[in-house]
Amino acid sequence: MARPLWSGSLSFGLINVPVQLFSAVRDVDLHFRQLHAKDGAPLEVRRFCAQEDREVAYDDIAHGYDADDDDQVVLTDEELASVAPRKTRTIDIDAFVDLADVDPVYFDHPYLLAPSGDSEGTVRAYRLLLEVMRGSDRAALGRFVLREREYLVLIRARDDRLALTTMLFADEIRDAKDVPTGGRKPAKAKLDGALALIEALATDWDPTEYEDRYRKRLQDVVKRKRQGKRIKAPKQEEQPSPVEDLMAALERSLEAARGGGRTDGDLARLSRDELYARAQEAGVEGRSSMTKQELIDALG
Amino acid sequence: MARSLWNGTVAFGLVFVPVKLYSAIESKTVRFREVHAADGARIEHRRFCSAEDREVDSDEVVKGYEIAEDVFVVLEKEEIDAAAGERTHVIDVEAFVCVADIDPVFYEKTYYLGAGEKGADAYRLLHDALERSGRAALGRFTFHNREYLAAIRPLGKVLALHTMRFADELVPAEDIELGAARQAPSKRESEMAVRLLESLREDFDPKRYTDEYREAVLELIRRKAAGEAIEPPEEEEPEPADDLLAALEASLGDGKGSRRRGSRGRGRGRGKAKA
Repeated sequence: MARPLWSGSLSFGLINVPVQLFSAVRDVDLHFRQLHAKDGAPLEVRRFCAQEDREVAYDDIAHGYDADDDDQVVLTDEELASVAPRKTRTIDIDAFVDLADVDPVYFDHPYLLAPSGDSEGTVRAYRLLLEVMRGSDRAALGRFVLREREYLVLIRARDDRLALTTMLFADEIRDAKDVPTGGRKPAKAKLDGALALIEALATDWDPTEYEDRYRKRLQDVVKRKRQGKRIKAPKQEEQPSPVEDLMAALERSLEAARGGGRTDGDLARLSRDELYARAQEAGVEGRSSMTKQELIDALG
Repeated sequence: MARSLWNGTVAFGLVFVPVKLYSAIESKTVRFREVHAADGARIEHRRFCSAEDREVDSDEVVKGYEIAEDVFVVLEKEEIDAAAGERTHVIDVEAFVCVADIDPVFYEKTYYLGAGEKGADAYRLLHDALERSGRAALGRFTFHNREYLAAIRPLGKVLALHTMRFADELVPAEDIELGAARQAPSKRESEMAVRLLESLREDFDPKRYTDEYREAVLELIRRKAAGEAIEPPEEEEPEPADDLLAALEASLGDGKGSRRRGSRGRGRGRGKAKA
């Protein structure tokens, strides 16, 4: 098991459950180092005082904040630490709420909680909390201090574990009232058409069906470069123009989705990569320089 | 509203919905910049070649992927960008899934989708149809030079777009060892825990919770600006409870009253509504 990020106790009522906190996500991205093009040596970042033009040791760095009147307030590490919340080493549960009432838009970073150690009392208390939350579709709201700052957190049952997520505060969610929406209430026929199309394309959510194609392509770029191959940037995609006749578009889409033979609709739903593969099969000439639409036209 | 971050089209079937992407989240964490403690001047990050010990201009920098210790595959920016994906202007909907089936742990970042030029009716149609069906649209698109899987769902009158985590980014639950309790919680313990949970039940009202740390940092800045001296804090110890049943009983006590007792001493208001 990975090293815990934090350990302490989960406290509700007068019950304290000793727990350890782990991140629920792991970093699987490819990371790059900055290198000097000339000699391939890794670069180092050094901190310089802009005024004195000389290097500054890490200990001589403070925190600057621009006050409203253009005046800068400078705080030292010690001063900033003076407002760090007291490290109580407890996650205090304040309340239990209906999980369905908490929109995931508030969820920030996900973590998992594990019982600390395997003492009978600890494991039982952990399981007890897990069971009652799972049974009631409730989640616990609490606060705790991680790395010098206090977080509002939500704890819920997930996959037979207690999952904790840090929460955004209400004023960190932008007001959506200025987001352009508008539009007329759709006529029943259109709404029915759209609903039928949604049902035709409906599947069960299975996260394992989706892979990170960006990561894979990046791995592939690294591999090809290692073999000394040239890497070419793909063409920019053109944006389709909005449809004039929604109803006609819905009808044609439905026909296509219900499998009415090989139509433009089928092809339009394929990616350029997929279209390119088909063009290769069919031996379409000049396929490598074709846009997505040109490929559809050539294959249609 | 701030400027849109991305303009494009949501394509489902042959229906094209022109959209604009906006950030839905605005972190209010107080940010500082690095300054030199001695004179308050800005700190610049300068890049130095570790072999030559001299400063390097930004146009002399390439990226390297480390394949063995100190062995790098060198890539130009354009080569990395080649992996970005081609769907730079289209979110191509691959499937519609039940919103309720998506565990929010998969949602990474939230954006709002607004209606683009001449797209208001199509936008409204997609919004209303998603709302009626209880489904989210899943599709991929390229944004800031990388391809994302995104889920689009109605959120009030607008559409929210979540970039999605991939399954292999999540730590499997089995990695978190539970240890086996020799005895499952007793019926009595469960019943009392349920009662305790009910006694602490509240409606979720996000506005009741404020970021006390942010407020404390801003207050500190005001005090420092006014020339006050700043003093260090004290630590506090937790009090453990051994007997689960006794703790449950004591917590339940006489209902609401025990709750005050339960959280007494840890408090600085703890974000409870100021009644």
